[in-house]
Amino acid sequence: MLSKRLQPIASQARRAYVELMFQVMGRALQAITEVDEAARAETSQLPVGFLFEMQVMPAGPSLVVEHIGDGRLKYLGDEAPRAVDLSIQFKHMAHAFLVMSFQEKTAVAFAHDRMLVDGDVSLAIKMTRVLNRLEAFILPKLVAERAVKEYPATLKLPNKLLNAARIYLKVATNLVETVRA
Amino acid sequence: MTNKYYEFFCPVKVIAGKAALEHIPFELTSLAAKRPMIITDKGVRAAGLLEPVIAACEESGLDIVSIYDDVPPDSSTTVVGAIAKLYRKEKCDSIIAVGGGSAIDTGKAVNILVSEGGDDIAEYSGAGILKKALKPFFVVPTTAGTGSEVTSVAVITDEKRGVKLPYSSPFLLPNAAVIDPRMTLTLPPHITAATAMDALTHATEAFTCMAKNPLSDAYATAAVKKISQSLLKVMDKPKDEDGRLDLAQASTMAGIAFSNSMVGLVHSLGHATGAICHLPHGLCMSLYLPYVLEFNLESIREPLGDLLLHLEGPEVYSATPAARRAEASISSIRKLRDELYKRCKLPRTLKETEKVLESQLEDIATMALDDGSIMFNPREVSLDDTITILRRAWA
Repeated sequence: MLSKRLQPIASQARRAYVELMFQVMGRALQAITEVDEAARAETSQLPVGFLFEMQVMPAGPSLVVEHIGDGRLKYLGDEAPRAVDLSIQFKHMAHAFLVMSFQEKTAVAFAHDRMLVDGDVSLAIKMTRVLNRLEAFILPKLVAERAVKEYPATLKLPNKLLNAARIYLKVATNLVETVRA
Repeated sequence: MTNKYYEFFCPVKVIAGKAALEHIPFELTSLAAKRPMIITDKGVRAAGLLEPVIAACEESGLDIVSIYDDVPPDSSTTVVGAIAKLYRKEKCDSIIAVGGGSAIDTGKAVNILVSEGGDDIAEYSGAGILKKALKPFFVVPTTAGTGSEVTSVAVITDEKRGVKLPYSSPFLLPNAAVIDPRMTLTLPPHITAATAMDALTHATEAFTCMAKNPLSDAYATAAVKKISQSLLKVMDKPKDEDGRLDLAQASTMAGIAFSNSMVGLVHSLGHATGAICHLPHGLCMSLYLPYVLEFNLESIREPLGDLLLHLEGPEVYSATPAARRAEASISSIRKLRDELYKRCKLPRTLKETEKVLESQLEDIATMALDDGSIMFNPREVSLDDTITILRRAWA
């Protein structure tokens, strides 16, 4: 009985958490392409104006970023100004929560058919590599190891801390600017 | 609670064994189809492989209304449009694809156009576009490797744009796959070897990659066992009908396995090598399989060790210490490749193909890194990793 009453609250909390994580991820995607050359090497191969979306089906939270040139991504919020070029869609909020709460690695979520790719698969692979690199930077190693297939052996602590600090600073600044606006 | 989850889907009726072709008329009429069209290629027709299919139908009073026998090795949107036009002109109501991967993919694409309408197959490219069942569609494979008869995907080249268009939908799956040993009896030795290695790679990757599941495992191990037991027998005695049937069934089982658990880095490298160097897909699989297994070894030690039972049988498996079984599985695959080299000169290294330049390795590595299959490889792969694997596979 109690669990039935708590169910709607749990669902709302889960949705709010995924929404928040999408907002952070969107801004962090923008930030990593401003601070990390390896991430830019991946995104610079996307066409300029390329729109990438992550969404929870059918009309759940979403994040949209645009490639504005030179490998730099810009976070556009939760709505695309035109049809997106590549969309990674979680089939259900519960699946998005598993990934965003680092209970399931992105690659495992793909293997478990939790997500659909609408668009060029090779570009989805590139974006997944950028997302993995982002998670390796901004999450503590123990958490990051739960999020990515293999924690990069070449990522040393000083580099990780420096880039994580720069990404977090940019995310925070962007969030404050959004709130002020 | 475990985080494990899987999906498994294969609604294809498998009609396999002696006189399997003779079941086609009954199966077609049970789907209310009376005017079938055959889609095939010149090679299949020249080898006389259409005759038993046509005879089987005519004997039951079912006329083949139309035959299109000019499917190229890389089928195109133009070819698909032309076949659809012929289908409509002849008022056909069903399709029988007879051939290898290209004829089967063409059959799938034609079925989209004649069922959904329109003339431009490019409009249906992508995943999940189709929302309803298509016309009755049967597949009669004439090679034992691709497993296309049980996969829900097709690839068609768009000549105008110079790109390969993917099609993915459960509705692309045929109603029936007809596996008859007569259809592969005349397959030349090097194609028999390369296509069987393709099937072995499908099964091995299905069993060791990230989306493996209990059902795909069962199909994968059964396929590995049949290939290990029958491939060399068939190479030595090409008219061995039982062996041919084993290889054809193994190919179908491996197809069911990998279409439900995906494949990994061997396919990423193979797709890139095929695109850049124009090597046959089965050969690419044979080239890379042991090297990728060595790269993945520490992530797949347990399932790869289990495969030894199906590769070498219970005596070798039980005589091999558990800690050495994964390495023994790789050795077994290497030994099989050596035997195939002795029998038909199937290349074991990139250099032996004489069609790959060392200067192309970096391009292959770069392209492989963006291939969709890499997502399901159990180990993360960097550009340096792919180059290292390619260098080991070079000579």
